[in-house]
Amino acid sequence: MASSSSNVRSSAYADRRSTVPKDPTIARPRVASGRAERSAQTPRQAPLGSGNVLRRNPSASMKPNGGGDVDKRTERVTITTRENMSIKTRSPVKEDAEEYVNERREKDRDRDRDRERDRAGRAGPSATRREKDAPQASRISVPPLGSQAPTALQPRPLNQLSVDIQEAAILEDLLFVFMGYEGQYIRFVDSYNPTMEKDRLTGAGFRILPGLDPSLRDLTNSMLKMATHYGAVEAFVEVQSREEFGAVNHALCAAIRKLLKDYLTLIAQLEHQFLTNPSFTLHVLHLHTLPTSRMMFQLYSLAHEILRRNSLLEDDLEDSVDDFDDVENILESLREGGDLGPGSIPGKKICKGGSVLGLLTRRLASMSGDPAARTLLTTLLREASRPYMMMLNEWLHHGGIKDPHAEFLVKEQKSIRRERLEEDYTDEYWEKRYTIRENDVPPQLEGLKEKVLLAGKYLNVVRECGGVDVSKEVGDVPRTFEDVRFLENVNEAYAHANSSLLNLLLTTYALPARLRSLKHYFFLDRSDFFSYFLELGASELKKPAKTVNVGKLQSLLDLVLRQPGSVAAQDPFKEDVKVQMNEVGLTKWLMRVVTVSGIEQDGSGGNGGLDNYQTPAAPASTAEDDKNVIGFTALELDYSVPFPLSLVISRKTVLRYQLLFRYLLSLRHLETLLVGSWLDHTKVASWKHKSSNLKLEMWKRRVWTLRARMLVFVQQLLYFCTAEVIEPNWQGLMARLNGSGKSENDEKEDLRQVARTVDELMQDHVDFLDTCLKECMLTNSKLLKIHAKIMTTCTMFATYTAHLSRALLSADPDLASNPPAASTGGATPSASTSYDPARLDKLADNLQKYEDNFSRHLKILLDALGYYAATETVVLLGLCARLSTANEGTPGGGLGGAGSVG
Amino acid sequence: MGTWRTLRQRGEIERTYSSIRAILLDLEPRVINSIQTGAYKNIYNPENFYVGKDGIGAGNNWAAGYATGETVHEEVMEMIDREADGSDSLEGFMLLHSIAGGTGSGLGSFMLERLNDRFPKKLIQTYSVFPDTQSGGDVVVHPYNSLLAMRRLTQNADSVVVLDNGALSRIAADRLHVQEPSFAQTNQLVSTVMSASTTTLRYPGYMHNDLVGIIASLIPTPRSHFLMTSYTPFTGDNVEQAKTVRKTTVLDVMRRLLQPKNRMVSTNPGKKSCYISILNIIQGEADPTDFDYIIDGADTNRGQVHKSLLRIRERRLATFIPWGPASIQVALTKKSPYIPMSHRVSGLMLANHTSIATLFKRIVLQYDRLRKRNAFLEQYKKEAPFADGLQEFDEARAVVADLIAEYESAESADYLNPAGPETAVDDT
Repeated sequence: MASSSSNVRSSAYADRRSTVPKDPTIARPRVASGRAERSAQTPRQAPLGSGNVLRRNPSASMKPNGGGDVDKRTERVTITTRENMSIKTRSPVKEDAEEYVNERREKDRDRDRDRERDRAGRAGPSATRREKDAPQASRISVPPLGSQAPTALQPRPLNQLSVDIQEAAILEDLLFVFMGYEGQYIRFVDSYNPTMEKDRLTGAGFRILPGLDPSLRDLTNSMLKMATHYGAVEAFVEVQSREEFGAVNHALCAAIRKLLKDYLTLIAQLEHQFLTNPSFTLHVLHLHTLPTSRMMFQLYSLAHEILRRNSLLEDDLEDSVDDFDDVENILESLREGGDLGPGSIPGKKICKGGSVLGLLTRRLASMSGDPAARTLLTTLLREASRPYMMMLNEWLHHGGIKDPHAEFLVKEQKSIRRERLEEDYTDEYWEKRYTIRENDVPPQLEGLKEKVLLAGKYLNVVRECGGVDVSKEVGDVPRTFEDVRFLENVNEAYAHANSSLLNLLLTTYALPARLRSLKHYFFLDRSDFFSYFLELGASELKKPAKTVNVGKLQSLLDLVLRQPGSVAAQDPFKEDVKVQMNEVGLTKWLMRVVTVSGIEQDGSGGNGGLDNYQTPAAPASTAEDDKNVIGFTALELDYSVPFPLSLVISRKTVLRYQLLFRYLLSLRHLETLLVGSWLDHTKVASWKHKSSNLKLEMWKRRVWTLRARMLVFVQQLLYFCTAEVIEPNWQGLMARLNGSGKSENDEKEDLRQVARTVDELMQDHVDFLDTCLKECMLTNSKLLKIHAKIMTTCTMFATYTAHLSRALLSADPDLASNPPAASTGGATPSASTSYDPARLDKLADNLQKYEDNFSRHLKILLDALGYYAATETVVLLGLCARLSTANEGTPGGGLGGAGSVG
Repeated sequence: MGTWRTLRQRGEIERTYSSIRAILLDLEPRVINSIQTGAYKNIYNPENFYVGKDGIGAGNNWAAGYATGETVHEEVMEMIDREADGSDSLEGFMLLHSIAGGTGSGLGSFMLERLNDRFPKKLIQTYSVFPDTQSGGDVVVHPYNSLLAMRRLTQNADSVVVLDNGALSRIAADRLHVQEPSFAQTNQLVSTVMSASTTTLRYPGYMHNDLVGIIASLIPTPRSHFLMTSYTPFTGDNVEQAKTVRKTTVLDVMRRLLQPKNRMVSTNPGKKSCYISILNIIQGEADPTDFDYIIDGADTNRGQVHKSLLRIRERRLATFIPWGPASIQVALTKKSPYIPMSHRVSGLMLANHTSIATLFKRIVLQYDRLRKRNAFLEQYKKEAPFADGLQEFDEARAVVADLIAEYESAESADYLNPAGPETAVDDT
């Protein structure tokens, strides 16, 4: 531009003057009107296009130009709407040029402020535009169409003009057209309706009035595209700057706007050339606009793609997806008290945030062969990603989300509060409070999204725990995706967040100590205090579950826990243990869990059912089942955990702890019962007495043996569950948890530690519990059923023999005849203590039933165990070998059976 | 003279171990004095020492000890009551005594009877030191004393851990290479065993936290309640003169525990002898700072337990009663953190074995020999229990004979259902 020599410039002016006089009242931008005045002053026809003619009146060309400029400006103000102001007020040539220079100088300094201003200027008009009751004047946004102008104002047909004049006219028109206005001879296509947003977004098509010289026409046509693109991009900027399109779109628009400003500057310079340089021809114009035209094309196609994504170009919204997410969004925004802005209309997928960035990136990748386009897109991407990077940094380094437009890749569900952790059986807080917007992940972050999510999530927890602000000082962080430290930044933030939270959990909140405490209470690894509790509470626990006084039990438990010398006394968390009653029997509950989830054979999905299964639906259970539930079987512990730890020790895991606890308790209780009957057998006179009746003695021996078998069964089972299932798994868990402790002497440990995340830790914990449940046979309905039967048999037998002591008196001829034996109490009728031989037979019959029942069920259990040991849980093999000892010495049981298994 | 007077103590198993609830009882002052002036005098409650008023012992006479019981028992029971009341969850009593001499045997028998009356629901376990039945011993009348005490142990104790002086000397000689072991040395053997057998109570784990649970599984039929013990390895940690034993594993320990030479009772097992039940208490865990432990050692001990149980079954290292459950249990316990030990794993076996009857048989045999000659009966006749004649001896013998028969019948498969002529007769 600057290279154009001054002696040719007037030719353009002369040419221009040749145009038909125009009515200055027609609303046209300043250049047009200014020139119209001048044309009126000098209405003479210019001679047919030659340089020397043009040179004749150089001064005339210069002077009015300057004055016209002032006029133009004032006039223009009345014409343009406020809407266009922000862009178009800058279009005056001089001001623009100045501004351009200034801007260049201040570019770096002012960039952000500038953008802010632009956005502010933009938000206003767009808001008023939507309001239907705005002043009328402000709604006039487009000048009337040239095609609708009265015939009197129509220019002289082109075919009446010489080629030179045609060129001049077309040149002048083009300058208008480049700015988005109609010219004298270049008009919008008929189908274009400037009031339609969609039309403007598609870009105005232009047509040249007939009669233009073909050579000029072709050249003009090729340039008209740029004008179309400009119009479309401008409309795009306007539309996409609306609030609902989010910060990334705004930043993108700001960047495009800057380019458009450069474009207008170019037009102004071209006009200057046109006015002053006589040798300025259509060709020259074409050459000058060529690179800009390419750029415009790039912008246009980018804009087009984005618009298409936003379905702003289609009339139908049929393909809108009404998915659950959107409903959730509405609900959420309703909850937050916000009104449903036009942007949040569900079903209208808006391309914003990460999607825009993704789109830019993909374009960049596909255009990488085109240096100009690449530079352009790189700039746009850089600018557009700034607000995104701010959000990213905020999230990565502070764990916060400042995302009013919902564009960030992490979505926050504010409705899920941590208070709900208390009764949350599904880990909702952890799993659902922060989620990834899968569709909105920019490709740069695709591989990192999990890390990004976790980093913020962890920091968030750390921050929510209050007190210490562990968030990293955000000093020097990359501001764009291109930054070489981008990856490093994410990784570092992640590592920092992870170690902060791990440290918080493991050190500040003493997770290992917590787990150990849980182990004391739920697995009873040092059960002395608990045996004492059971002993003290026995009278209460014997009652049916419904009538048990929980408060009393709680005070007993508190008493026991404070007993010096027990493991609980030193436990700082003993206050968190609570007694409660669960009126659904364990087996029934487990069975329901197993059947609800249908996981029987499926080991991996093992406890999916537990998650879905929150609280037992008590009303559904039949009454007669619940009657059998006494305090001992209903007893359950609850454990409350403070916030950050409740992520790891969630309700989900406490439920598993409770299941295991109840199982162990049931075994223990049975052991106590059997031991109690042993004590009877050893201590009570009627058992101790060696009867002269051999048959009775044999019967006693059989009772003892059966009791011993049952005791062996229970103790072996208990041993297996604790020493071979819980303890090794526990050690494994602890080893993984404390991996860091011994790292200094081993490299491997170090590596393992680095790979650890809080989520892995949580997973380890759940896995540990699930493994325990599975290996304790609690996830298999078949095993559960058989096991329950044996347990019932044993319990019944234990209670049965407890009542036998008196019956024995009458069955034993020695004791029955003994007067002192009859004195066991006035309440006992003497008849029952007298010798009754039939009694013994009855006793023998009963015993026989118990014996058969026990050994048959045990055999079934052993077979089932053998089967499952071979098919799914190898550990059960050990149990099988152990339990088979209980059946030894009976026909069909014992070594033979075990041998085949082992 | 009783070997075990120094440890003659009665302590309740209770929940807290902050103080020792031991009552020390003797009719002559010598041994108790040595404790009261010894290194450990401060751990005992001075009110819990009782020494016979006249300061003369029972003179190796069961009858004298038993008769003295009548005069001292009120004062002693008062001590016991006091301690029992102070216990939160009294489960039972442990009585430590010897049965060969006068005081432990006689007064011990008396106290057993009284305890049983006073606390009918509480367990009574005794650690009873039996005389060396194979090489005479220093008390000539020990067969009398033993037999009389055996009757009370059979009838009034719930569980008797039999420690045999003969076996203790043998172990001292074999393991410690001491030909003439001192009391201090044999005492150390016994205290090791006692400490091991109570580890599960003192360091509670998942299981075996109460005495009754341990005993109930060991003693399926109430009358067969005499337990024998094995311990391995005895090392310098327990007994000074012991040779250092190589590194031990659970596998080694469990195998060695089954070897008769490690038993602390001298028996002559017959072909049919068998175990009624076994409880192995394995002490010590692999060093957690050991790297192997972290990788795969978390369940090394447990894995080994399982492996050795399988091996025992496969090779039939232990035969069990043919009529009942093969109850072999293992308790894994921690070691005392206060006592450093050079070996990683040690083990105690509490076993109920039918061959213990052979020990009783020898006592009966030796008794019969003395009784046939009516030797040394004069001093017994002087005392109250024999004032009306010597039927006390005959009753005791009958009880012990019955016990022996019980053990022998337990060796046969038809223990539960003897198809002998007796049943046939009974049915008709």
